[in-house]
Order: sequence, then C-alpha cells, then structure tokens
Amino acid sequence: MSVQVGQELPELVKHPTTRQLVQYAGAQGDFYEIHYDQAYAKSVALPGVILHGLLKAAFLGQLVTDWLGDRGRLSTFEVSYRGVDMPGHPYRCRGRITSVDGANVGLEVWGEDENGKRTTVGTATVEMSS
Amino acid sequence: MSTTTSVIDRLRARVGVDGPAVTATVEAGHLKRFVDAIGDPNPRWRQEVPPTFLVALAPVSLHLAEAEEYGKGWLNGGNRFEYFVPVMVGDQITARGRVADVYEKEGSSGNLLFIIFETDYTNQKGDLVARLRGTAIRR
Repeated sequence: MSVQVGQELPELVKHPTTRQLVQYAGAQGDFYEIHYDQAYAKSVALPGVILHGLLKAAFLGQLVTDWLGDRGRLSTFEVSYRGVDMPGHPYRCRGRITSVDGANVGLEVWGEDENGKRTTVGTATVEMSS
Repeated sequence: MSTTTSVIDRLRARVGVDGPAVTATVEAGHLKRFVDAIGDPNPRWRQEVPPTFLVALAPVSLHLAEAEEYGKGWLNGGNRFEYFVPVMVGDQITARGRVADVYEKEGSSGNLLFIIFETDYTNQKGDLVARLRGTAIRR
C-alpha cells in the first residue's frame, strides 16, 4: 500500500460507555470523579461525566497503529483536548497523511463528536520500514 | 489575588526539579486490563504496550495538591509522546517526572492555570524508551 499526502486513514468509530470509563479509570489508575460520578461532574460545571482525555488519545493511537500495522514504527504522537465528550455518544477517529519525507510520514489525527465537532486534535509521525 | 499568586510562585519554584522516580514492571495482566479498557483488540498488545500505556504504568501526572488551591477542577490540555524503544511485557520501567513550566492564561470564562509536566521513561537497561509532555489545567 503506497503512502501519499492527502490520503485518509480508515476511520475508527468508538462507542464509549460509562462502564468503559470506570474500566479505564481502574486500568490507568485515574480516579478523578469527573469520569464516573455524575453529581461531582455537575458540581464542577461539567454537563455530566466525561471521557478521559487519555482514553480519547488511546482511541486515536489505535487509529494510527491499525493503519500502520507492521509497516513501520510510531515516533511521535501528540493530542490536544479541545472539548469534552460524554459516554453514550459515538466518537469518530479520523486521520490524514500530511507529509512524506523519505521514510518519515506525518499525519494529522482528530476525534469528532456526533455533530462533527473536532473535540481532540493531534499529530503523529511514523518511520516506515524499508 | 494574593492566594493564587503564591500558589503560582510555589509551583514555579518546582520547575525543572525531578519528582521521585517511580519504577514498575510491565505485567501481562495489567496490560490486558488496559487494552480491554481502551477496546483495542490488536493481538500485538499481548506482548508490546500500546502508545498511551506508560501513563498507566507509572502515573506521574503529579496531581499537585497545592495546585488544587487554584480554581475548582482539573482538565487535561494535551499529551505529547515521543517513542524511542518498544516497551514489552516484563520490562522494568522507571519514570522520572518534573514540572517543566507553570503559567496563567485568561480563558473565556475566567483565568486558567497551566502546568506542563515532562516524564522520561527508561527501561531496565537504562535506555530512554519514551518521553511524555503533558499539559494539566486548573480551571
């Protein structure tokens, strides 16, 4: 499979649930209440419990590693969280190739809510194997 | 605003100072719980850790108690990972974290405090395997 600027990665749609947030809280060891306690989340002016930023990062990481497979290795991966996402709503992970310089390939990646708003944006660089 | 100013000053005094090192072994069971939680079925992650696993292995995001005097909640602003060596089950990873920068910014609904963290991860051979830069925000 050739790699060209502008090419889109096969999209990955996730369906996070409150149960998954609890599962992730345990696996990461992040027990901040905004991810599982509705009353607490509302007390700090959130609409309800929200996804961990790093869970969204993990989804975007999967987008990249699913696409890359064993054709190369991930060198850098960066995400910025621009908006909150709630469980019970689909989360679409998308990406596109932005640069190809020899074996080094640059990607932009983003996560969209169901209204198409990019709540997480990021970049990745990969080094393709020869 | 003397309270918030002093919080910022105290945090700034820690910039560049390494926190205590945390060492942990990558266990197959923990890795499985993590990949189940993120919902990534790739069999590669039975032996090798996926891109964001290191934050779960040795949490060093240093939810600084003193920063909690500022604002009412934490937000994660972003994370940047650099990867040098794959991390495998059985590796013993040491994380060394530090505060890299502290600054205040005016947001649309009040001031925000930004704390930039850096963590270096080394394996049992002393090789730097990854580096993480994170932005924690108090709002």
